[in-house]
Amino acid sequence: MDTLASLADGFAVALTWQNLSLALMGCLLGTIMGALPGLGPSNGVAILIPLAFSLGLGATPALILLTAVYYGAMYGGRISSILLNIPGDEPAMMTCLDGYPMAQQGRAGEALALSGIASFVGSFFATWGLVLLAPQLVKVALLFGPAEYFALFTLAFATLGGIASTNQAKAAFAAALGLGLAMIGVDAQTGVTRFTFGEVHLYDGIDFLVAIVGLFALSEVFVFLEHRSTDADGDTGKKMEIGKLYPSWSMIKSCIPTMGRTTILGFLAGVLPGAGASLGSFIAYSSEKRICDRDGTFGKGDPRGVAAPETGNNAAAGGALVPMLALGVPGSGTTAVLLAVLLSLNITPGPLLFTQNPDVVWGLIAALFIGNFMLLALNIPMVGLFTRVLLVPPRILMPVVAMISFVGIYGISGSSFDLMVMVAFGVLGWVLRKLEVPLVPVILGTLLGNAMEANLRRAVSISNGDWFTLADSWLSIGIWLVAIVGFILPIFLGRVFRKKMDDEYEKELSD
Amino acid sequence: MIIRTFIATSFAALCATSALAQDFQPESPECIAPANPGGGWDFTCRQVGKTLQDLGLIPGTMQVVNMAGGSGGVAFAEVVNKRSDDQDLIVAASSATATRLAQGAFPGNTADDVRWLASVGADYGVIAVAADSEIDDLPELMEIIRNDPTSIAIGGGSAVGGWDHLKVLMAAQKAGVEDVRRVKYIAFEGGGEAVTQLLGGSLQAFTGDLSEAHGFMASGDIRVIALLAPERLEGEYADLPTAKEQGIDAVGANWRGFYVPGDTSDEAYDYWASAVSEMYASDEWQTVMQTNGLAPLDLQGDEFDAFVKSSITEIEDLSREIGIIR
Amino acid sequence: MSDRILGGVGLTLAIFFAWSTTLIQESFMTDVVGPKAFPLIIAAVLGAASLVFLFRPDPAPLWPPLNRLAEVGFAVLVCFLYAKVLPELGFIISTTLAAGYLTWRLGTRPLQSVVVGVATAVGIYIVFRVILGLSLATGPFGF
Repeated sequence: MDTLASLADGFAVALTWQNLSLALMGCLLGTIMGALPGLGPSNGVAILIPLAFSLGLGATPALILLTAVYYGAMYGGRISSILLNIPGDEPAMMTCLDGYPMAQQGRAGEALALSGIASFVGSFFATWGLVLLAPQLVKVALLFGPAEYFALFTLAFATLGGIASTNQAKAAFAAALGLGLAMIGVDAQTGVTRFTFGEVHLYDGIDFLVAIVGLFALSEVFVFLEHRSTDADGDTGKKMEIGKLYPSWSMIKSCIPTMGRTTILGFLAGVLPGAGASLGSFIAYSSEKRICDRDGTFGKGDPRGVAAPETGNNAAAGGALVPMLALGVPGSGTTAVLLAVLLSLNITPGPLLFTQNPDVVWGLIAALFIGNFMLLALNIPMVGLFTRVLLVPPRILMPVVAMISFVGIYGISGSSFDLMVMVAFGVLGWVLRKLEVPLVPVILGTLLGNAMEANLRRAVSISNGDWFTLADSWLSIGIWLVAIVGFILPIFLGRVFRKKMDDEYEKELSD
Repeated sequence: MIIRTFIATSFAALCATSALAQDFQPESPECIAPANPGGGWDFTCRQVGKTLQDLGLIPGTMQVVNMAGGSGGVAFAEVVNKRSDDQDLIVAASSATATRLAQGAFPGNTADDVRWLASVGADYGVIAVAADSEIDDLPELMEIIRNDPTSIAIGGGSAVGGWDHLKVLMAAQKAGVEDVRRVKYIAFEGGGEAVTQLLGGSLQAFTGDLSEAHGFMASGDIRVIALLAPERLEGEYADLPTAKEQGIDAVGANWRGFYVPGDTSDEAYDYWASAVSEMYASDEWQTVMQTNGLAPLDLQGDEFDAFVKSSITEIEDLSREIGIIR
Repeated sequence: MSDRILGGVGLTLAIFFAWSTTLIQESFMTDVVGPKAFPLIIAAVLGAASLVFLFRPDPAPLWPPLNRLAEVGFAVLVCFLYAKVLPELGFIISTTLAAGYLTWRLGTRPLQSVVVGVATAVGIYIVFRVILGLSLATGPFGF
């Protein structure tokens, strides 16, 4: 009951007019930044830090503003994923897979509304998880040593086989490409440079935002140029309909089990420092596909394929706050920025935060609840407005998207070298699309490559060169088993296995 | 930012009279943090910028620009090559910058290409173990390492050869470990991550800065067995034993400070140095240092310049001795 | 055929990657695994996947005719130029030019393209510079 009393105190702190309007402003700005390709939650929060400072805000109001931006960006990323097939930020990448096909079928409104609800469910329950389970969850994070992290990342790559069902070799190719790109730069373990060819700009490696914006957004522009029909008006052939704005109750109901499972998965992924929201949405999607994709509708506009990653990434956003607050270890890029804000407000996150600064912690948690309800209230009515984007003819929309992508990258890094790398990625993305090589594994590789390698090397170093250390605890063995039995074996047994299942399924139907 | 500009303008109007009696005034003060938001350099820029503004020592708001790349190398090259006469600019730096310069990791650039401005504090190194560890003090840890270097994994937040690693090697060298290169060091992304692995049992010891350790120390999760300071600190850190008093004469301070472009005029250099100096003396900054575990290091102008250059020479010698550079 | 070419390119890339891995300067001190092992594993996966394309290619995609290909090529060139001139010309001018060009090539009438280009540049400038406070490139006229 202590917890609930503290939470009530938190609401008392958060519920002032100033804080409410800050939360509203943060939600709006966050949604916009999430939706713009190139500006993700971490940059969004970083951009607004000076605003919080120059307004002279105290610790709690500043945090309310910035976490509202954080949650807002997590909501906003899905908008461009669904409408344009361009992820607004990296966790929203998986939402493209089913969101965009839904939009093409004229169900953009439904997809947006459903993903809004899914986002709400994910972050609402994750925030409760943060309230009730934070101390226990810290222990979970401590169970993960380098060997366990390596097993977890391998699991993520093993699930790729399930996503790109057409050609496994192409998924493997794309993943290796992404991992290889991640290797560029100074090796964090030894400080030697790798694959930089003497270029100082490459020392810090390739920013995955540059990769994601290039691969998805710019290549989309090139695809449009390629297909431009030659009629006088110049509009491309496929006109999108807007259709129904809100999903039916039965559709929402069919997604409830999905949302339940992915909330838990995403939250746990968020709790592990170093895994973060992208892994949350990724694992949420691939496990849901494995569990309930019986008719092969995932990837073709299945509502559950929209609900799963959105629930997952928003739950992970909440989960990532657990290690940040309780250990002072950021679980994702955004929480790293939030951590810096806390430090500059003279608050040190860590094991003592909950006892030393209860007002800050509980005010923050209350703000998360408030922000979450605001976002739901903002996002659902605005579905109609968002879908209007589809009415803008592509010949105008696409250049705008391209320019926004450039600005997003340039505004953060101030480097025209990054812009050229981005254009190169645009070309690469276009070629890979033509050859039906999936883009998601490339991004996953660049996102996780360094952490995966670092943990492998840490684990083997700690055990003095014994590679068997990688499967030396019950936890790591468990993860390896899930990876092998759940995802790798089915690829090889796939054809036999799936045929049998289909037969049985049909039999059940005919019975 | 509409609101920000408005506040900034009114602020500037207020401050114009209280400004320092000097010839130079920056038009749009800017601080480059040579890393992405969230790191130590970013903290230095933002916190100092905020305090300078709060105290009215600079006109308007300090604009913080993040210029990540090459562990500070991209920003260093940019400042040297493109903005060497920008009078409004200061750049965050720390021992990590000095270490990189000493090891020749900024190709074509040396410490003489810029003017070292001032320090804003120092972060003393610590070596810590988990609270339930059987190791009691630094000599005991070093004894175990001397007998079997493979039995102790020490984690820290910098790469192999980086500052956190050097600190532990320094201690090992002073403790008489013969081949310090056999000390098992595991690199992490940051001190916090390394502490987490210490608590999880993957590591046996942690090397880092006091500011990284103090939260876990206060909560009783970890035990600091050696502070790498010349003498004991005051206040809440008074009972931390130094390495020196345990017979291992190793001192490692991670300073934080700024440099300015090489062609900064003397007026501008003096302006910035005295602004930072005045800020350093303020109660506000003392509070910031207190809460972040920063120890005093109050050097400006030529004094600081000499300090940085001598510390670079020191690191260079040490790195060569250990065998990180040839 | 396209897949076979991809396989060939992929294999070359894998070999190149493995070769540059061997060139990595290892410092005196390194961990047990070292900076080379993981890249070599990646190169192996890359190579193996490429071999699959060589021997079991998918049907080739429909490549655009030459003039369309040139269209894409020009757009890429414009993007590169944009990245180059942005710090010199400043945000508004270069963005107007680039957005105008892309709009025009996507089938808008020339005059209208200019209008769209200017509107895009100014609109983005307002959102990113004025509202979000990002520092965009400043040209000779301060914008």
